[in-house]
Amino acid sequence: MAIDRAPVVDHNFVTTVEGLAPGPPRSDLDSPVRPGTGLTARRALALFESQVRSRHLDLAARWLKARGTGFYTIGSSGHEGNAAVAAALRPTDPAFLHYRSGSFFLERSEQVPGQTPVLDVLLGMTASSQDPIAGGRHKVWGSLSLQVPPQTSTIASHVPKAVGTALLMDRMPRLGLEPPVPADSLVVCTFGDASANHSTCVGAVNAAGWAVTQNLPLPLLLVCEDNGLGISVQTPADWIAAAFESRPGFTWFAGNGLDLPHAYDAAVAAADHVRRARRPAFLRLSTVRLLGHAGSDVEQTYHPLSRIEATEAQDPVLATARLLVEQGWRTPEQVLATYEEIRERTLALAREVEGRPRLLDATEIMAPLAPRRPEAIATEVARPSDEGQRVAFWGGRLPEADRPRHLAVQLNRTLGDLLVKYPHALVFGEDVARKGGVYHVTDKLHRRAGVGRVFNTLLDEQTIFGVALGAGQLGCLPFPEIQYLAYLHNAEDQLRGEAATLQFFSNGQFRNPMVVRIASYAYQKGFGGHFHNDNSVAVLRDIPGLVIASPSRGDDAAAMLRTCAAAAEVDGAVCAFLEPIALYMTRDLHDTGDGLWTAPYDPDPPHVPLGRGRTWGVGTDLTLVSWANGHWMSLRVARRLEQEHGVHCRVLDLRWLAPLPVQDLLREAEATGRVLVVDETRRTGGVSEALITALVEGGFRGAMARVAAQDSFIPLGEAAYEVLVSEQDIERAALELMA
Amino acid sequence: MSTDLRLGLVCPGRGSYGRAQLGSLPAHHPVITALDTERRRLGRPTLTELDGAERFVSSRHMAGQHASLLTFGATAVDLAALDPARARVVAVTGNSMGWYTALHAAGALDLPAATRLVETMASWQAPEEHGVVGGQVLVPTAGEDWRPDPVLEARVAWALEHPDVHLSIQLGGTTVLGGTREGVRWLMDELPGQRRGSREFPLQLPLHSAFHTPLMRPTSDRALVELGDLPLRAPSVPLISGDGREFRSWADPAEILDYTLSTQVVTAYDFSLAVATLVGRYAPDGLVLPGPGDTLGAPVAQVLVGIGWRGLRDRADFEEAQASERPLVYAMARPEQRRSVT
Repeated sequence: MAIDRAPVVDHNFVTTVEGLAPGPPRSDLDSPVRPGTGLTARRALALFESQVRSRHLDLAARWLKARGTGFYTIGSSGHEGNAAVAAALRPTDPAFLHYRSGSFFLERSEQVPGQTPVLDVLLGMTASSQDPIAGGRHKVWGSLSLQVPPQTSTIASHVPKAVGTALLMDRMPRLGLEPPVPADSLVVCTFGDASANHSTCVGAVNAAGWAVTQNLPLPLLLVCEDNGLGISVQTPADWIAAAFESRPGFTWFAGNGLDLPHAYDAAVAAADHVRRARRPAFLRLSTVRLLGHAGSDVEQTYHPLSRIEATEAQDPVLATARLLVEQGWRTPEQVLATYEEIRERTLALAREVEGRPRLLDATEIMAPLAPRRPEAIATEVARPSDEGQRVAFWGGRLPEADRPRHLAVQLNRTLGDLLVKYPHALVFGEDVARKGGVYHVTDKLHRRAGVGRVFNTLLDEQTIFGVALGAGQLGCLPFPEIQYLAYLHNAEDQLRGEAATLQFFSNGQFRNPMVVRIASYAYQKGFGGHFHNDNSVAVLRDIPGLVIASPSRGDDAAAMLRTCAAAAEVDGAVCAFLEPIALYMTRDLHDTGDGLWTAPYDPDPPHVPLGRGRTWGVGTDLTLVSWANGHWMSLRVARRLEQEHGVHCRVLDLRWLAPLPVQDLLREAEATGRVLVVDETRRTGGVSEALITALVEGGFRGAMARVAAQDSFIPLGEAAYEVLVSEQDIERAALELMA
Repeated sequence: MSTDLRLGLVCPGRGSYGRAQLGSLPAHHPVITALDTERRRLGRPTLTELDGAERFVSSRHMAGQHASLLTFGATAVDLAALDPARARVVAVTGNSMGWYTALHAAGALDLPAATRLVETMASWQAPEEHGVVGGQVLVPTAGEDWRPDPVLEARVAWALEHPDVHLSIQLGGTTVLGGTREGVRWLMDELPGQRRGSREFPLQLPLHSAFHTPLMRPTSDRALVELGDLPLRAPSVPLISGDGREFRSWADPAEILDYTLSTQVVTAYDFSLAVATLVGRYAPDGLVLPGPGDTLGAPVAQVLVGIGWRGLRDRADFEEAQASERPLVYAMARPEQRRSVT
């Protein structure tokens, strides 16, 4: 029994076509390829070639792998019917593609002149730095000129942003913004039947339906390429229909991906519906999987040969060949000549890419990860808004005329000014509109900016990120809000696997700028429990390229939010803005009524560069290093240390957790020779681990210690303080360091 | 010597037949005989007469109504000389007027129809009939090493902002700008001079109109009327156009005709894209340049350098490759290269 089924499938094609009985020859290529279909013979011939090119790409991938020069063998064999979906669409329709949508990609390439898709994909398979989309960082379907943003579809994590893109596609013109594609475009997203079970897909379908019930236009075509298998796990034959046929807001279509005219007719009907009605559609495209899951997958270990052979007999490329021959459009000899000619040129291209350059070092690899242009950011921060628009936005009462205010109000004013400065800025999340957010940070913004720009979403963080991703990709500047840090975690991969990777996997050609605001940390008085007091940031800190801002004071927050907006605007930065809930309404620092935690609103505050901390005090005995709530507590403890123990401190507010202000840290550490890190996140995986490491690696030889929260979830009520860092903990540790 | 080379065919534009080519046409070749018959019917000097002249007269030999068919004829002769057993053409393209030849080479036009197309389009350029429409100016955009030079490219971008200047042809390391008489004069006055070998640039092409620019709209309009019945078929060999489109055996002849008589007449001809597309889609063993002279060799090579084909980084790499057992370009005007494909 053959282990590698590729030669078998290849051989079957050739021998079966040789034995086909040709129909009476026909040449009227504008006729239906067979009676009753809208697919012309001319189009079918073109689609057949896309299917064959996709098949030979799969074969070439294995050829390259065998030679040790190719690194990716997950193929599209059996899914070649998806070429019909591409044919039903326009090359300007943004397409988020399944990893088996090779024929779709190749067919779309035929709709834009001057493309060399097979070469491009082979460069990706061989991880060449000349791969035009990812620069050798991954094999992806992707192309700027084809409106195919690169991603991996394995966990359906691209479906939420397809929803977001579709939502913004029709909203942008109503906001006076111009999307980068024609106004009547639709968004297509393809995925596998196994992936359809991921919460990302289920949630995205749910969100799309929810949007429709709100009468929001949503030109979205979801295509489930259903081959009935998730690697070795079978998808029940009617599962996709059972799960998705009757979803609210969606119109259901089914196409036979093993029969090109049927697939085409279904795809045209679905696409026409979406484009015309601006409502979503779900197209199930039945397919088979040939050649196993990937080159390394031996299907014989979980399927009997009889089943494998029966599946191979359904080869969709062979089906198209049979159609063309039996309907008289091509002779078997012509079909085989095409098949062999494409094999020949695909292998010639494969030989060509073997010698192409590869990525050589970490600097080259990481170059597009998160470009940083501090001067451009500073210039963008300094760019003024239109004063007349400001006055109009604030209803004639400019916020700088107000009395000194605390963090939540400073954020509100800054968001308002950013909505003025950036007409493409959007603020959204649960409760951010009429309610103004749980902590009133977005209070009245929806009235001032309009409901199209400040809007509520349903309660699904993956969807919130999906909207941000889609909006950013279309050129908007999204400010999504996640209501609590604990709610980030169920959607964190949207930030990690999608937002943070886009520039990396597109070599900087695509970007999804965003500033996600997250109400964070513990210490809320009278409102406890883990889900509203989460202090885990480890999951953010190891996301390459992610900016993490975490202010403590309102005036810093206002400046830092502007910095994040500018970084997103000029460099496409993805920023997480962690706001300490417990300080939202805090006005005082040391004593009731001292007002030291408020500040006048400055519409043009001094620029706070990314990764720069702020030092309080000039003491030379001890350096306290902290941020957010920890900074507020550290300042209070510093005063007690000075007044009660004669210990003179300086307090460094990091302000940024990524990039960490390491130079500021080392400078302030050397200034006293003693460092106490005050870390309100957890002892394990918390920020202090990085800070102590940075001190050691930076050559600091003085004394150092840390206080950090316990490795515990936060309990309800007063008990919370037993696992959190307290001012007593800080004071005790400081005195121990001084002893 | 290679056998069964998979080759891309690149048909030359009108400027290829020059002084050095005088006397090069095989007088009794069936192709030349057929073209001469047509020329006689039209009351024009035959190719045999032009090619057999004692001396090359620029105003005569380089005039469009003669140079076009001389180039076409010499190219068609070479096409017939290709040995399909040794040189298998996998895809075809051409530069500028070479597009008409490419249509013939790819099987989309038979010889009489291609001749009619070339003759008709060329005759409208005849100064004595209609006058030359504006002109064309060559500007290098690559350095001596054939790598793209951003400074030179920026000069072209600057020049294109002039209202009387249009992009005409992207020709590897050279950009051809088209313009009105005023535009051409401005280009010659304003663009900094530079030398490549023995030639000074910017260089105005003598007796050339501003082909592939909106200035040619009247020509296109007339062609759509007078040549609308051209018996065009879908090509038998894949054909890459000057905007990177690929026409194959199922192509709609009406689309090819529209491209031929309209699109490419009035919009820039991106020869660089055409060659890069052909090479990037077909990975031929090499590119064969039929027809007179080898002036297209450098632009083709510059395109290959530009896309890093076979690892080429510059002119020296290309020359090394040419001297190897796997040359990249076979110019049929060079006997030693011609032998590999005939």
